[in-house]
Order: sequence, then C-alpha cells, then structure tokens
Amino acid sequence: MMSPLVIVVLPLVVGGLLFLLPRDDIRISKAAGALVAAALVVLTIAGRDESWTWHWLTHPFVANLHFGATYLSHWLLVLLALCTFAAIVATNVARTRSMVAALLLLEGTMAGLFLARDLLVFALFWDAMLLPVFFVLLSWGEHPSVAWRYFIYNFAGGLALLFAVAGFGAVVGTTDVIGSGAFNGAIGPWAPWILAGFTFAFLVKTPVWPFHTWMPSTYAATPAPMVAVVSAVQSKAGLYGFLAISLALFPSYFTAEVPALVILAVISLLYGAFIALVQSDAKLVVAYSSLSHLGLIVLAIASRDPLALRGALVYIVAHGLFSAALFLILGFVEEREETRSLGKLGGLGWANPRLTGALGIAALAALGLPGLAGFAGELIILIGVYQGGYAWAAILALVAIVIAAAYMLRLLQGATQGAEVADLPVRRDLTWVEGLAVAPLLLALFYFGVYPHALLASGWLRP
Amino acid sequence: MILIALLVPLAGAVLCWALGPWLRAAAGWLATAAVAASFGLILATGSGSQALFSWMPGFDFGLTLDRLSLLWALVITGVGFLIHLYSIGYMHGDRAFARFFAYMNFFIFAMLLLVLSDNWIGLLVGWGLVGLASYFLIGFWFERPSAVAAARKAFVINVVGDVGMMFAIFLIVANVHSIRFADTFSAVATLGAPVVFAICFGLFVGAAAKSAQVPLHAWLPDAMEGPTPVSALIHAATMVTAGVYLVARCAPLWDQSASAQMLVGTVGAVTAIGGAILGASQWDIKRILAYSTMSQIGYMIMGVGVGAYAGGIAHFFTHAFFKAQLFLASGIIIHALNNEQDVRLMGGLTKRMPLAFWGILTGVLAISGIPGFSGFFSKDQVIAGALAHGHPWMYAVGIATAGITAYYMFRLLFVTFLGEYRGNVDPAALGIARSTGSAQARELAAPHKPHHQAPSWIMGLPVAVLIVPTVFSGWLLFGSSVAPSLWTRFFAVQFAPSGTAPASVPEWVTTLVTFAVVLAGIGVATWRYATRSARANAVARLRNETLRMPKVLANAYYVDALIDVVFVRGAQILGAIFSRVVDPYVIDGAVRESAASAQALGTAMRALQSGFVRAYAFVLVLGVGCFLAYYYFVGAR
Amino acid sequence: MTAALLPVPLCDYVALSAVMFFIGVAGVIVRRNPLVMLMSIELMFNAANLAFVAYARAWLNNAGHIFAFLVITVAAAEAAIALAIVVVTFRASERVDVDEVRALHG
Repeated sequence: MMSPLVIVVLPLVVGGLLFLLPRDDIRISKAAGALVAAALVVLTIAGRDESWTWHWLTHPFVANLHFGATYLSHWLLVLLALCTFAAIVATNVARTRSMVAALLLLEGTMAGLFLARDLLVFALFWDAMLLPVFFVLLSWGEHPSVAWRYFIYNFAGGLALLFAVAGFGAVVGTTDVIGSGAFNGAIGPWAPWILAGFTFAFLVKTPVWPFHTWMPSTYAATPAPMVAVVSAVQSKAGLYGFLAISLALFPSYFTAEVPALVILAVISLLYGAFIALVQSDAKLVVAYSSLSHLGLIVLAIASRDPLALRGALVYIVAHGLFSAALFLILGFVEEREETRSLGKLGGLGWANPRLTGALGIAALAALGLPGLAGFAGELIILIGVYQGGYAWAAILALVAIVIAAAYMLRLLQGATQGAEVADLPVRRDLTWVEGLAVAPLLLALFYFGVYPHALLASGWLRP
Repeated sequence: MILIALLVPLAGAVLCWALGPWLRAAAGWLATAAVAASFGLILATGSGSQALFSWMPGFDFGLTLDRLSLLWALVITGVGFLIHLYSIGYMHGDRAFARFFAYMNFFIFAMLLLVLSDNWIGLLVGWGLVGLASYFLIGFWFERPSAVAAARKAFVINVVGDVGMMFAIFLIVANVHSIRFADTFSAVATLGAPVVFAICFGLFVGAAAKSAQVPLHAWLPDAMEGPTPVSALIHAATMVTAGVYLVARCAPLWDQSASAQMLVGTVGAVTAIGGAILGASQWDIKRILAYSTMSQIGYMIMGVGVGAYAGGIAHFFTHAFFKAQLFLASGIIIHALNNEQDVRLMGGLTKRMPLAFWGILTGVLAISGIPGFSGFFSKDQVIAGALAHGHPWMYAVGIATAGITAYYMFRLLFVTFLGEYRGNVDPAALGIARSTGSAQARELAAPHKPHHQAPSWIMGLPVAVLIVPTVFSGWLLFGSSVAPSLWTRFFAVQFAPSGTAPASVPEWVTTLVTFAVVLAGIGVATWRYATRSARANAVARLRNETLRMPKVLANAYYVDALIDVVFVRGAQILGAIFSRVVDPYVIDGAVRESAASAQALGTAMRALQSGFVRAYAFVLVLGVGCFLAYYYFVGAR
Repeated sequence: MTAALLPVPLCDYVALSAVMFFIGVAGVIVRRNPLVMLMSIELMFNAANLAFVAYARAWLNNAGHIFAFLVITVAAAEAAIALAIVVVTFRASERVDVDEVRALHG
C-alpha cells in the first residue's frame, strides 16, 4: 500500500541524509546511493497497481497528495530507476557525495512527478525537479549563466503550468484527476487557455523547437551522471505530460493544437538532425540528436494514432536508455582523454575495445539500427503516424533517420576509429564498475529491440 | 530447426567477440564450424516454417524456409563456409583475428535472418543488420581513414535503402494491417495500382541501395577497402544480391504493377551496362571486380524485374560461385604481392601462382558466358527472359553488356597473368600517379599484417573447391521447353508462371548472337593485351591507356562528386546555418529581445523613482484625486 | 434632536475637516523639513478625527468616537517612530531636508 510513497520519499530522505556525511566522502555515499537506487529498481519493477492518498486542500478546490503509478508512468519509473542506478554507479566526479545526493533528490522529485495523480502535486514536483539540476549546474558548470538559463526557461514553463493547474482547479473544482478516468472532460470556455499553459510547459521541458535553446548549453555543462538522467528521464516529463494530461484530459481541445504541434515536431526532428551533423563536441551531437528524437515522439503524440502512441512509449523508453548510455559513456571517454572534441579524439578502438563496444551499441541504438529498441520505437511510431493521416510528416521523418545514421557514425567513428592518437594518453579500458553501470541499459536496449511486445502488453492508453 | 540454424552463427559471433582474446586462432575454426553447422541444418530441414513470437500486439514474427529462401540460405552458408575457411589463412596473424570472425559470423546470421523471415519487419531487421556487418567489415582496418570513410558511406547509403523499405512497410501496414508476406501477397489484388507501385518503389529503393544499383551504387567500389574475403562473401556473393532476393520474394507485388517492373528492369539494365563500362576502365583488381559485380547484379535485377524470376535468381546462383572464386583467387595474388592491387603492377603471374591463375581463368570463362561454363546458362536465361517478357531494348543492352563483360574480364586475365612481371617497374613509367593505393602506403596503413606468407592449403582449398560449381553449376539450368530443366521444375512451385510472350526470336538465335558478341569482346581484349607485340610493349601500352583514359570514366561518371556536393555539403551547410545563425541570432535573438525590452521598460520606469519623498506623496495624492474624480464623474451614474 | 446636539450644521464641520486635511496635504508636499511634514501629517489625522467626531455626534453612533481614539493612538505611535527615524537619519547631516535623503532613487 505504501510503495508509491516509498518510491518518492526514500530517495529524498537518503539524498538529504547524505549531506550529513563528510564533504569529501566517496565510498559510503556512492554505496548508499547505489543501494537505494537498486532498491528502487526492484520496487518500480515490482509495484504497479497501488496508490496512496492524503487529503490536502478543500478550498479553493480539492487537491490530494495522491500518488500511484499508471501503466505509462510505471515504465517511466522503471526507466528513471535504471538510469539513476547507472548514473550513481558511474559517478566519478569531484565532490562525489554531493553529486550522488543530487541524483537521489532528482530521482525522488521525478518519481513524485510521475506518480502524482493530482495536478497540483504534479506542478509542485515539476518545479522541484529543477532544483537539483540547477544547483549541480551552479557548482559544477563552467559558468552560472548556463544554470540560470536552464532555470529561467524551465521555471517559465513551470509558471505556465501552475497557472494552468490553478485555472483547472478553479473551473473543475478538483485537481485529483490524472489517470483516474473520473473526469468527464467538460471544462468550458477557459479550456483552450488552460491547455495552452500545459502545452507551453511541456514544449519547453521536452524541448521542442523553438524552445530548445536552453538544452545544448545545459547538456554540455552538466556532468555526465546528471546529464544522463536529465536527458533520459527529465526530458520525458514533458512527453508524459502530453500523454497523461493534454491527451487524456483534454482530448477534444487537444485536437485544435495538433496542426501546430505536428509542424513544430517535424521542424525539431529535422533541425536537430542537421545541427547534430556539424557539431564537433561529442556531447552536443547527442544533445541535438535528442532534439531530433524527441521531436519524433511529439509527432507520435500529436498524431494520436493508437499505433503511434504505442510506438511513443517504446521510443520514450528506448531514447531514455540509449541517451543515458551515450552520455555516461561519453563521460567515461572524457575522463580518460580529457577532451570530447571529435577532432581530437580517435583510435579508441585499439586502446579501449570494451569502451568502444559499449559506445558502439549505444550509438547504433540511437541511429535506429534494426534489432535495437530505437528502431522498434521509430518504426512503430512512423507506421502509426503514416496511417494516422500525417504521411508527409512520416516521410520527412525518414530523412531525419538517414541524417541520424550520418551523425551517429561520425560520432562513433570520430571517437573510436582512425589511427591511435599519439598525444592522447593510453588509459585503462572500461572498468567493472563502469560496465556494471551501462550493462543494464545496453541489455535493455537489446531486449526491447527484439521484443517490444514487453512494453505493449495491454491497451494502456484510452484512445 | 530453422531457428537453430539461424542462431548458431549468432552464437559463434558472440563467442568470438566475447572470448576473442582467449580463443585466438581457434576463433577462426569456431566460426567456420558454426557456418558449416548452419549449412547442414538448413540442408537437413529442407523446407518448413516456424512461428516465433509476437513482436508487438498484432505483429507476429516467424521464419519460413521455402524454395527461394532455401536457395539463398544454402548459398550463404555454403559459400560462406568456404570463405570462412579461406579467411583463416588470409587473416592469419591479424591483430583483430577473432573480431573479424565475430563480424563474419554475425553477417551470416543477419543474412539468414533476412532470407528466412516470413514478415516485413524481420526482413528489415536482417536488411539493417547485414548493412551493419558490411559496415564493420569494410571498416575492419579502421586505422585507415579511407576504410573508415568507405564504411560510413556504405552504411549511410544503405540506410537510404532501409528508409525506402520503411516507407513500403508504412504502406503495407496501412493497407493490409499485417506484416506477414503471406497476408500481403494474398491482399495484393485488392490494392489499387498506385499503392502497389508505391510499395514496389519503396522496396526497390531498399533493393537498389543494397544491391548497388544506379543511382545508389557509389558505395560498392569503395567497399573494396575491406579485407578480400569480405569482398568475396558480402560484396559479391551474398549481401549485394539481397535486392534480387527481395524482388523475387515480392514477385506477387511486381506482377501486379507493370510500371514497377519497367522501373526495376530499366534500373537493372542501366546498371548492367554502366557498371560494365566502368569495369573496363579500372586498374585496381578489386575495383574491376566490384564494378563487374554491380553490372552482374544489374543483370539479375533486370531479370527478376521483367518477371524472369527463375532466370534472375539462376544468375545469382552461378554468380555467387564464380564471383567468389574470382575474389578469392585475386585475394591469393594480393596476399602474395604484399597487398598490391594494381593490375598494371602485376603481369606474368601464371607460373608463380598457378592456383590463382586457374581460379581466375575458370571465373573469367564463367562470367564471360563461354558455353559449358556456369555463367553461360544463367546469363542466357536473363537475356532471353527480357525479350520473352517484351522488353527488346533490355535484351539489346543485355547482349551488349555481355560483350563488354567478356572484354574487361579477359583484359583483367591478360594484364594480370601474361607478359613479364611489372612489380618492379617504376609506377610513373606506367602513368600511375601514386597518391593512395600503393603497396607501400598500404603496408604503412596496415602494419599489423604479416608479409610474404605463401598461401597455405587453407586458402588454396576453397579456391580449388569453388572451381567445380564455377564450371558446372550452370548445368542445372540445362533444359528446353519440352523437357524443362531441373531448375525450372524446382522453382515452378515458387513463382506463378508469368505470361511469356511468344518468342519472336528463337532461343538458339539469342544464344548464338550473344556468343558472337562475347567472342568479339574477347577478340578485342586479345588484340589489345595478349598478342605478342602487346605483351612485349606492355609497359608503354598500359601507360598510354592510363593517360588516355577518359576523365568521366576515371571519375566513375562523377557520381561521388555529385553526392558530395549536393547531399553531404548541402546537409552540412544547412546544419551550419541552423547552428550558427538560426539558433544564436533568430531564436536566442528573440529571447534576448524580449529580455532587453523588459529591461528597457524598467529603465523607463526607473525615472519615476526619483527618491524624493514629496514626489511620491504628490503622486499618491494625484492618485487619490483620480480615484475620487472617477467616482464623482463616472461611478455616480 | 439631532439639531439640538449639533448647534453648528454638520456641513461646516465637514468643510473645516476638508480644509484642514488639504492644508496638511499641501504641507507634506510643499515643505522639505521633515518636522513640519510630520506636523502636517498630524494635521491630516486631526482633520480625520474632526470628521469622525462630527459624524458620531450627528448620527449618534459611538463608532466614530472609538475610531477617533484609535487615530489618536496611532498618531502618537507614528509620531514617536517617525521622530526617531528623523533623528537617526539626519544626525549626520547639517541640513534637515527630506530631499537630501534619496538613497532609494532608481
């Protein structure tokens, strides 16, 4: 009965307690963090149909502290737990203790977001999850302006979300509506404005062109473990919002937004791909590729085709897995070579074969290699988008797939192939701990690539 | 059984990859054994189908082994086995020996998946994975920048093909609501002609990319950067014929759309003759063979495109043997000459390498279509099929191509083996401007490759064994309309008899005309390279030919340059504009503008905050005044 | 009965209150000496008090008286605090002039 609450509270409490440890502690904090993260992996995979409610507000509208997983958020929680576990195990930065604590706080706040069944709780966690990233950016990033940029963009979205929730509560009388099916969908004349607030918040968070410019600088400046979780899971908060709120609560009003969303999604898809092609910073290649890939998911959601929505779930999980793996592995590369410029890297294939193999699997998943999860998601989405009436968008998306092959190979080959670079020091190959971090992600990519059925066991979303 | 046959090479690949450092030389034998086991299992199974699992709700995965996939699976594993064996010798001592065999086994797995799948998604997965294996193996010596670039080019062009197939799959799922071949083909009659054409078009984009058909052929010559066994297995015998398999597999679709057949036949014919002309203008032995492969696959595509399915796949069957044979035999030469691939620097090798000579000789005779050798039968079937299905100009192109093929293959044979050995001639005397491709450069680039290693029996045996099917495999096709050949009877179940137009030209006339053209080609080659005077003046003549080679041929019709300028540069420029102009100035510019306007507003308001208490008091009074005035004049009503 | 209680018409009280109030307002706006400004503020308070008391008598409602006392209390407190602020603010300066104190200007 308590398990949803445990998933939210445990990482928050342990994350807070870690700050009691000495500042320079590495082993205890990392072990404790990994233990908690592993426990959450088990809890999220095991627990599903439980919920926990505590009455919170009656005036001006009813709001409850209501936590419980739906079919969709169940998989997002599993993804979150897996990625956080990988990130904590892979953490190897200065001030390890604070980083692990920040990761746990991020996990707790995002778990709260995904588990929230009440819009007000959702909005609170929406803003709360910005804080760990913001403080990490302030203390690890090169320049505070990046942190502020991240915060201002996302907080502006959060503000729009809060207004929308307040408006929703005022009109409907309760905000305890996510995944309940009790809400009948009649909102009245304010509905387009309320929905616009939600949409703005989700577009900024995802991000979708033209609200994406906070993302590249944030991803480049955030240390690898944190950026892995941010790009893998935090970016899905917007998509989750689209699915669980916009689409589920406002189906008829959402239709009016669809043309604009489809166009923005297609622009993101191509725009990100073309930019990724010319970046020389490995992390930026992945950052812009995320813009492109997330555009594809937004396209799937906007098309509202049942098949495309299933594909969206597959691709949400797949993108989470491979982008977390890519950022973590690029972090390993950067630790060893002290650069992530594609012009300077090269020849890792000889020096570090295991590292190369891991990077290869992640990059191939990202470019949509058949047999890995990214392909399954892409194909299902595009079939759905095509038959859902947006054939032109599906065909344009195919262009992005070709470009994806070019930029991902450029990344992979730039880092790993070519002659061994003489002035790079020869470092150790992927260690056992690092392997333990990325192996679950890579295995899951194989599993969901061969058998996406596992993600699609039931009709999980009302059409 | 089918599943096991499919998974054995995969297991071999995983073992070689994971245990490579411990297996060392045993990796080669392990991989070879895995392919042999797969061959045996497929042969023992013969036919059948197997349902596997549900890929996603409504989309089921399964394997099927019918006569078409049986043919391909046997060639893949059979020729694959011989090439694996050969590779043990060829790759001996390579730094990444085990990794090589992991990739090779992985390729066999992927190719089997491609031909054994009973549904579109399984086909597409196999399709993508063979592309990946090809990418790995082209870029196997990845310290060479040229190999890395070639691998990337091959992969990206193949993704273009994958994407074309995805387009076809959209249409199929949207119209048929199933991914199984059987459901699709049974529903074909209900689909409209434009839909069928669009499906065929998408599929053929995939086929053209994989089978190096114009205009998606540019990757194949560069793919010769891979080790020679790879070229033999992937880029000659099996993977590049996947397009032929696809068209043959989808015969029910093509039979419904005459315009799709026209498209495929045209592309095949253009590729056949275009590739042959380029083959006649190359000097790198592997590139000659690569263009020849392209041209021969053009034949196959033309054959299956016009509806002569049995003929097209017959040419695949014989080609797999004689082209593998040619590559393996030339691999012996390349291996013995320290990675020299330029035929101008060869010559006089008959005595030094008799096995290579016999291998190449039989291969050349077969590919040129000398009666009695395998290529003769299959090529005739394709050419006659083009006429029988009512495409006289394809028929003419086919015959012309046969002549050019005979010319350049005998050119290869004569230049390589006749006359004096020219390996110690100064390349400049032959008109060779050496920038890349020289033996020295290759040695520098592949320092881990041991030199001067005589071909052991491991490399000799596959070449010797392949001589048998190279010569005799065509005899399966021997038959007439009265007594159909074994081949025709075997595939009669697979393909619905297509409307054969009454032959306006009897088959024996076709055979005679083709043979005459072939003889003419051989005659020209003999006159240019094999006469006594030609052999005596070989150096001067080759120099002359090199210098006079038309630029358009030396640059392969400028297709690479076109791709580079239009697509590669185009995409890069677009990316640069987006990242250097749109992002920082347009989008962030708008954000900065709004920030700046908020700031400007603040600056303007700032003047009001004078700091004089009395001014604030005055404003306050003014405000009260306004308030009262409002209620006095307006609010009172 | 109301007439007996208010020998002078209510109107006159209100007019006087208004005049006093605006004299106070003018004083606050025009004068620069904080002490005079405080006195002007007192004047405004008292104008309000006068109005309260006048209406209380006229309408026989003690709420006005109560408010007058409240205002007197507040005025006293205000005067105490304001004088303290004035003393602290102008301790260092030679001239006692509110226009000299504009550290909060924009």
